[in-house]
Amino acid sequence: MSELSIGHADKKWIFQGIGLTIVVILLAIIFSFINPKFATTTNLLNILTQASYYIILAVGMTFVIAAAGIDLSVGSLLALITVVNFELIKGGLNPIVGVILMFLMGGILGAFTGYLITYINIPPFIATLGVMVSLRGLALVHSAGKMHYGLPESLTWFGQGEFLGIPVPVLISLIFALFGAWLFNRTKFGLHVRSIGGNREAARLVGINVKMIEILVYCFMGLCVALGGLIMIARIDSTQATIGTSMEIHVIAAVIIGGTSLFGGKGTIFGTLLGAILLSMMTNALVIAGVDYFWQLFIMGIIVLIAVTINNFRDRKLSFNV
Amino acid sequence: MIPFLTTKDLTKSYGGLKAIDNINIEINSGEILSLVGDNGAGKSTFVKTIAGAQLPDSGVIKIEGKELRIENPNKASEYGIGCLHQGLGLIDTLNVPENVFLGRELQKKGFGIFPQLDNQRMREETKQLLEQFSIKLPKLNEAVVHLSGGQRQTIAISRLLLQKVKLVIMDEPMAALGVDEGSKVLNLIEKMKSENIGVLIISHNLEHVFRLSDRIAVMKNGKLLSVLDSKKTTREEIVKLITFGTS
Repeated sequence: MSELSIGHADKKWIFQGIGLTIVVILLAIIFSFINPKFATTTNLLNILTQASYYIILAVGMTFVIAAAGIDLSVGSLLALITVVNFELIKGGLNPIVGVILMFLMGGILGAFTGYLITYINIPPFIATLGVMVSLRGLALVHSAGKMHYGLPESLTWFGQGEFLGIPVPVLISLIFALFGAWLFNRTKFGLHVRSIGGNREAARLVGINVKMIEILVYCFMGLCVALGGLIMIARIDSTQATIGTSMEIHVIAAVIIGGTSLFGGKGTIFGTLLGAILLSMMTNALVIAGVDYFWQLFIMGIIVLIAVTINNFRDRKLSFNV
Repeated sequence: MIPFLTTKDLTKSYGGLKAIDNINIEINSGEILSLVGDNGAGKSTFVKTIAGAQLPDSGVIKIEGKELRIENPNKASEYGIGCLHQGLGLIDTLNVPENVFLGRELQKKGFGIFPQLDNQRMREETKQLLEQFSIKLPKLNEAVVHLSGGQRQTIAISRLLLQKVKLVIMDEPMAALGVDEGSKVLNLIEKMKSENIGVLIISHNLEHVFRLSDRIAVMKNGKLLSVLDSKKTTREEIVKLITFGTS
């Protein structure tokens, strides 16, 4: 793979990236034929805008899954940090301080989840499930079911602004995906994350501080939640304690569809980006086709199951090839 | 000449059982020493104590004449001792340079500011290192999961060589390798010797032991029975020592 390309340095993964790109393009063409409204510039930008916060969270989740972890708490964390800080900002807190506080809360709570996994030895699935329920509870206690709305204009720009005709959320998410690809493929941190997911004990034996890296991975996930949350609430100019419900499924699905191995050790940010766009495209097409929301959930679940099956099949095939 | 590694009265017990009992041995730079013995003879325990995987109960370890305490594998590595584990310690999903440099990555400034991996230099240095030891690998950029057992073995050895180790400990280095691949690894071990690196091999394969070793150390029931010059002993003598404890 060339020095400048995005993704894991392995030919099989380039092939998979090309395959996924073709799938996204083919689906876009099919949806356009079914409903001409789909192919309008406005709708395509709308899809990318909808995908923007999922892209940001999915970049963080790629690191988590590549390190052989999982984080089910992202939706609840998003709810808690947005309701708390929305209210503080509405109460007169400087918006910049409010945003910094959002990132601090995201990072610290993410690191705390990482601590539970590495130092208390709770399996990632259980630890993040517990954190998910607790944080959702805290968000509900804090806002008591209230809807918060009315952010200052300086913040709504992050969700509703445009730059050279391109929505700001789209620009932020694409720049962030590039940053994520650089961090994942070109830095020591990214290499250590992939090595821990590939063989935790071998990584420890070469002197990598495995526990610290794992905590940093969950901390980074928390920071991604803060950025995604900021764009999300800025876009809809409101938040409530139930925001982000089931978001983890959408985010994990994007990562798996993108080709990151559920067993850890490998993945691509480019694939994750395509996975998130593909899911938003599907949701958009179903909405345009007038498919009921509950059926949308059902279809989303089926897509996740298919993606996991393909993922497992591919990993098994890979191990048979050794 | 001061030996690279010397042990004096090295002892380690598990409960009431003495796994190694007053082991006194010297390993020189540029020497291949094989450690042979039945299962339970104490070979692995001895190797673990000098590789920093466990501390001895008593006794002394000297590196180049200096008494040192090898508390963990990182310390052993710091003192120039590298250990090739049976599982090789490779990350299947990483490529060859990433595996060779893991934990000692080369970095450069990305965009002039941020530290990032210097993949090109790591690839070039891996290539040079492999050429220096006459190791041929088809593709450096491929994940090592796709490589054969022998190729993986050479990558694990390359990683040790990169650390500029002075003593390499190898536990059954030819296990699970075909004839062709095994002979490549044997050549690599000989090449290490020519570069003045000491090699300590644990092996049950006497053919390999005699082909490679300068000296052969025989252990039984935790004791070091004898250290013999490989040119002045025979397979029969070694087998008798392993089996009966006397030649």
